[in-house]
Amino acid sequence: MSGRGQVRFDGIVKMHGEFAALKGVTFDIEPGEFFALLGPSGSGKSTTLRILAGLDAPSAGRVFIDGQDITAADACDRDIAMVFQSYALYPHMTVYENIAFPLEMAKMSKAEIAPAVREAARKVAIEHLLERKPGQLSGGQQQRCALARAIVRKARLFLLDEPLSNLDAKLRLETRTELKKLQRSLGVTAVYVTHDQEEAMTLADRMAVFMAGEIQQIGRPADVFAKPNSIDVAAFIGSPPMNLIPARYKDGGVEIAGRRLETGLKEAGERNVVAGIRPGAVRIAAGGIPAVVELVEDLGDTAILDLDCSGISIRARVSDGDVPSEGAALSITARPADIHLFDATTRRRL
Amino acid sequence: MPDNAAAIPTSGNLGRVLARRERRFAAALLAPAFLALLATTTFPLLFLVGTSTFRMDLAMPFADGFVGFENYRTLLADDRFWSSLLVSLIYTGSTVVLQVALGLALALLVMDMKRGQGWFRVIAILPVVLSPAVVGMIWRTFMLAPEFGIVDYLAINAGLGSKNWLGDPLLAMVSVIVIHTWQWTPFAFMVLLASLASLPEDIYEAARLDRASAWQRFRRITLPLLRPAIVMVVIMRTMVALTAFAAIFTVTGGGPGTATEILNLYAYRKSFTELSIGYGSALAVALLVVTILISGVLFALRRAK
Repeated sequence: MSGRGQVRFDGIVKMHGEFAALKGVTFDIEPGEFFALLGPSGSGKSTTLRILAGLDAPSAGRVFIDGQDITAADACDRDIAMVFQSYALYPHMTVYENIAFPLEMAKMSKAEIAPAVREAARKVAIEHLLERKPGQLSGGQQQRCALARAIVRKARLFLLDEPLSNLDAKLRLETRTELKKLQRSLGVTAVYVTHDQEEAMTLADRMAVFMAGEIQQIGRPADVFAKPNSIDVAAFIGSPPMNLIPARYKDGGVEIAGRRLETGLKEAGERNVVAGIRPGAVRIAAGGIPAVVELVEDLGDTAILDLDCSGISIRARVSDGDVPSEGAALSITARPADIHLFDATTRRRL
Repeated sequence: MPDNAAAIPTSGNLGRVLARRERRFAAALLAPAFLALLATTTFPLLFLVGTSTFRMDLAMPFADGFVGFENYRTLLADDRFWSSLLVSLIYTGSTVVLQVALGLALALLVMDMKRGQGWFRVIAILPVVLSPAVVGMIWRTFMLAPEFGIVDYLAINAGLGSKNWLGDPLLAMVSVIVIHTWQWTPFAFMVLLASLASLPEDIYEAARLDRASAWQRFRRITLPLLRPAIVMVVIMRTMVALTAFAAIFTVTGGGPGTATEILNLYAYRKSFTELSIGYGSALAVALLVVTILISGVLFALRRAK
């Protein structure tokens, strides 16, 4: 299946009246890639997926699949399979009939359909549920049925619209792993929409971070996490989110709460910046910024500290062994490489 | 002491006492409505069945008396009964099929209307709120009158010439079917539109991605999902069509001859024109049996699968 499922979005704009849901979105997806569209609600990620599926038409721009311009092609002519957030199973059909439906529409014979349906059901471990109707299935089983219906016809592109959001936390983790294994074993290009950054980080080969109808950053999850290219991305990726502190940059260092911290930027001059430090990068060490522990959130193996640094709130993640008590006074610092600097005006990374 | 113990209810029999009191109270609340129903539906029905076993002829009261199943034997040998039953079945079958087909087509069209859906619904529902007798009068005078009626005017302009819409047996039958369909299609339309609106949009999107054509989406998804609503409309409209009366009575009076004489109308004519109350009652019971049988079959179909 390699070589199939290459996607190119070229300057896609989607207008709803005066409101621009997408403001010129451009990206490429390579064949066989697991590509996540990540962003908060209303950022345009689902609209992007619907335009790719052919369920909505763009106001401007072009969509290519495997080098072919399919902007004007109907959804049924695109050879795309999709798992909906609501699963969209046909309620009057059994699981078998649901999975067989796309094959019937492709005019396959019954003799070919039966083994294909059983094989797809076996891959998602629902072969014992084939005679049931969707209403008789649990949420997880319905989700598997939707997955089986999507993988049964070996489409060139596999779209997933928040498929795990209706599952409970435990099942979500289990299914996430299975989904990744399934995509790898099929070798199919997958486009995955989610607002859950943890899902995107763990599943995706690459991801596009959407904000207000625009792509803020595209890259491997680890790269986006390590080097967010704007304040918005920095604030969105990571849990708890990055501490973003207005500060004054001067000759390679920033001044926070009256103390200077060295940064990785070696640029002479002075300017207003926003310094970003991930909670996990905050270190408790002498000679740093004085802080008072306001609140301790114990997570078992780690703890999140809410610190007050002379009026500035900073969150720190510390390991279980050395958790200071609430009200304790301490001093915090960070390695120069762990301090991200953003322009206070343009909000872009420096 | 043992006497006292018996007087104080334990938790078990206290529950029973309270439940009995509640049942009595519920029965008291139910009784007026129950008695009213008995008096207005069950008693007349039993009286009808009883009357059908009598010869009760107001024109010849001296011959009245209990005749058992004699009226029913006469009925089975009565050609006019069989022809009116056939007319009833043709009238019911065609009006119900037309109402469902047109109602569904309209509902599918209106679902795709971006504007004016609300207005369309209001206008569409108007025929339903009219009395069937009024509808009959409107059609007889305003629509079907030779030369002056709108339908006849259109027929003349279409080159078909003026027709005797209510005087020709076939045209009269077609006319009463069209009138009933005109009045009651909005009911089917409203029910099916509500059902269509409740179908989730995403399964249609899934079907499009599964490469189903518009016809396949209609046949494989819309129709099966609308099936409960369609069956319900068929049941309700069948019951009403079988017992239709006022519109036909005002438009053709069952004529010309007996061309549009449905069973209901025949029972009326026998009872109140020919004053043969006993035989008329037997005809009414026959209609009741036919209605129950057809409804039973339709309800069984509804439960199937």
